[in-house]
Amino acid sequence: MDLIDKLREIVGERVSAAPTERLCYSSDASQVKGMPDYVVRPISTEEVSKVVALAADFSVPVTARGAGTGLAGGAVAVCGGIVLDMSGMNRILEMDLANLQVIVEPGVVQARLNEALKPHGFFFPPDPGSSAICTIGGLIANNGSGMRCVKYGTTKSYVLDLEVVLADGRVIRTGSRMLKSAAGYDLTRLFIGSEGTLGIITKAGLRVMPLPKARRLVMASFEDAEAAGRAVAKTFASGIVPSACEILDRTTIAVLRRCDPNLVLPEGDVILFEVDGTKGSTKESAEEIARICSPIAAEVMIASGEKEMEEIWEARRLVGAAVSRLDPTKSRIYVGEDVGVPIKMIPALIREIGEISERFDLPAMKYGHIGDGNLHVALFIDVLDEDEWTRLEAAADAIHRAAIRLGGTVSSEHGIGAARAGYMKMQWDEGTLSVMRSIKKALDPKGILNPGKLGLFESPSSSSGGD
Amino acid sequence: MTLALTKTAIEMKTKTKIDPRAIEMCVRCGTCRSVCPAFEVLGWESRNTRGRIMVAKALREGLAPDSDVLDSLNTCTTCGICAAKCPAGANPPVIVQEARRSLVAKGVMTEAQAGLSGKVNASGNTFGEKAERLGWLSDAEVAGLKERADRVYFVGCLDSYRYPEVAKKTFNLLKRFDVTLLPDEVCCGSPLIRTGSEARGLVDRNLEQIKRIGAKTVITGCAGCYSTLKKDYPPDFKVLSVPEFLAEHISELDLKPLEISVTYHDPCHLGRHNGIFDPPREVIKSISDLVEMRASRENARCCGGGGGVRAGYPDLSLKIAKRRLLDVPSGVDAIVSCCPLCIRNLRDAGSEIEVVDLVDLVGRAIRSP
Repeated sequence: MDLIDKLREIVGERVSAAPTERLCYSSDASQVKGMPDYVVRPISTEEVSKVVALAADFSVPVTARGAGTGLAGGAVAVCGGIVLDMSGMNRILEMDLANLQVIVEPGVVQARLNEALKPHGFFFPPDPGSSAICTIGGLIANNGSGMRCVKYGTTKSYVLDLEVVLADGRVIRTGSRMLKSAAGYDLTRLFIGSEGTLGIITKAGLRVMPLPKARRLVMASFEDAEAAGRAVAKTFASGIVPSACEILDRTTIAVLRRCDPNLVLPEGDVILFEVDGTKGSTKESAEEIARICSPIAAEVMIASGEKEMEEIWEARRLVGAAVSRLDPTKSRIYVGEDVGVPIKMIPALIREIGEISERFDLPAMKYGHIGDGNLHVALFIDVLDEDEWTRLEAAADAIHRAAIRLGGTVSSEHGIGAARAGYMKMQWDEGTLSVMRSIKKALDPKGILNPGKLGLFESPSSSSGGD
Repeated sequence: MTLALTKTAIEMKTKTKIDPRAIEMCVRCGTCRSVCPAFEVLGWESRNTRGRIMVAKALREGLAPDSDVLDSLNTCTTCGICAAKCPAGANPPVIVQEARRSLVAKGVMTEAQAGLSGKVNASGNTFGEKAERLGWLSDAEVAGLKERADRVYFVGCLDSYRYPEVAKKTFNLLKRFDVTLLPDEVCCGSPLIRTGSEARGLVDRNLEQIKRIGAKTVITGCAGCYSTLKKDYPPDFKVLSVPEFLAEHISELDLKPLEISVTYHDPCHLGRHNGIFDPPREVIKSISDLVEMRASRENARCCGGGGGVRAGYPDLSLKIAKRRLLDVPSGVDAIVSCCPLCIRNLRDAGSEIEVVDLVDLVGRAIRSP
């Protein structure tokens, strides 16, 4: 019996080997391409387990995929094989709020989870720009985060327990309902950020937090990034931990204005400080931040209300893809988009990126989480111009190298995937990489789980047009 | 869905004429996954906007069109919610329509597409009806139609043949404002244009009559006709939707309050595609309470009927409609809309609440009919 027939025995009609379907699953939001041979859409742990066991028998690669919003090709089957589209496993199984947690399937969309939690007065803090689309499974597999992680931490701070299908089809649990536990290796954390290379997540117990009663937003504009960096450092030194601390450079501000001319934003390079808590505490903190910024900033504003604040955040979440609004001949290409450096190196990184942008004659929009050192660089090109592609790749390479040189990382929250695999050797020494390889070999001896990712082994041929 | 074409057509490698830059605006961020009504039901990437754009791009690069390609492109209702939400500013319905057009021009289409095109071209209506289009009027009324007028009421296929009582009510409301009818109206061309076929013959036939009557304004009660008359006909006359016209003349209609509460379903081709959100609401609020649906105006969910989906994929179409019914607020007495296709689909999906045309609602509120 062929593999396709056996897959059909497990999942019925929820498998496809049609060229059109394979094409539509051949990329995510990155430039990495890889055509799967089969797309399977499981709806239960049992089905995942059977599919993975079957793949192990046939020595066929298995690549898990959530909503395909990844920016590094993590969910792209660069070695072919089976793509497991987990987005159909999308049930919230239990709201165990007395224990401050929820049990979910991996295909639950982040925003849906928060919609369900809101009436109960809770929320799941990691909030990437793709919240309306991305799945919890993808967030866990990439240790995703977002604007609020400066205060709340990244996804790894919220995963208490995982159900994982191992490379031979066995199903294990990595944790419990305990909010803390000191019993052996922390397998939960091992799977977080493993990008589907060690197992397939089929269930997750997530810690949730009480929803803050109030938020306030302070917007301050600066003449240059150094001044902005000083304002951020002074804010932290004053004892305030903002619930978001975002930088938007002047190009980004121009794009945001183009998207929505009614947005109230100051001119120049802008920092958005959000504070959350009670009505009284947020008012006090917002005023304190405004006072700290005033001597350094060109302009300081406090958002008038919830609606204005929500509009600004909504625009910020989507700005990454919005550059075409400024110039319809330009498209945002996600390369070199997720570097991070220790926070005090941010001004140096911004300066270097400015130089790189000039050197390669490519406009760059710079925005991101200045409060935790994560800068998103948006390079945009005319995709019909081959020369611009060449310069783009060179610029992305220079950005990655600059981040490593400044003691940082090539990815802060989007993952390594295939796009950044080549930089692992630059970022980690051989000893560290050898431990990672040992873990991989112990859990996936046949190497069927998402091969070609993380740069642990010599990369198979992939058609990454990116970094 | 099976193919209605010859084997050679399936095998041929075609290079379609889709604007590459329009396609490249899509950065594959996947925002459309959160809104595409067909994807919500079907779950495959090829049935989502992002997949359709990848397919359109691949066609341009020489992908051989097969039945899966056609199903990918043709399951789009062209509702445009993806375009409304796209952060990169892409306009996917245009890309999908253009991809369909390029394929149809080469003879590559589904049986449903071919059937629809054949039927409309042969009969001048979407149902292949042989009966008189103005059968809802008496012979005397037909004979008495003005040959010249400032305004024309464009009835549309659905109201002409399936909801003649709505056509009658609409015409009764409109005729006091120097409105006449086209003596030989044919389908506006919308179903053909949406599904990639040529509609020039139909357009020309209607245009010639509009010109002969000397009408400066064409009024229609169908969202699909409205969009087509506005965007696919030359800009020689003003196009008004019935709700716009009613809102403009509301004080002259002598309406009494109905003491009921209703909700309003925004037809995609009236709302999102043409920005007509307020006029129907003004009319409704003048005679009853309006409670908005869970998703409304720019965020309104599609009824599932448009883009040829009702004809080509009836199961999908009704599943989308059923999901739309979940947006209806509890306790309302009726769902009001301004498009016979939406009304039909929502009724067929088994709405427990009465689904009515705005004109029906207004009809109930008229003091002296």
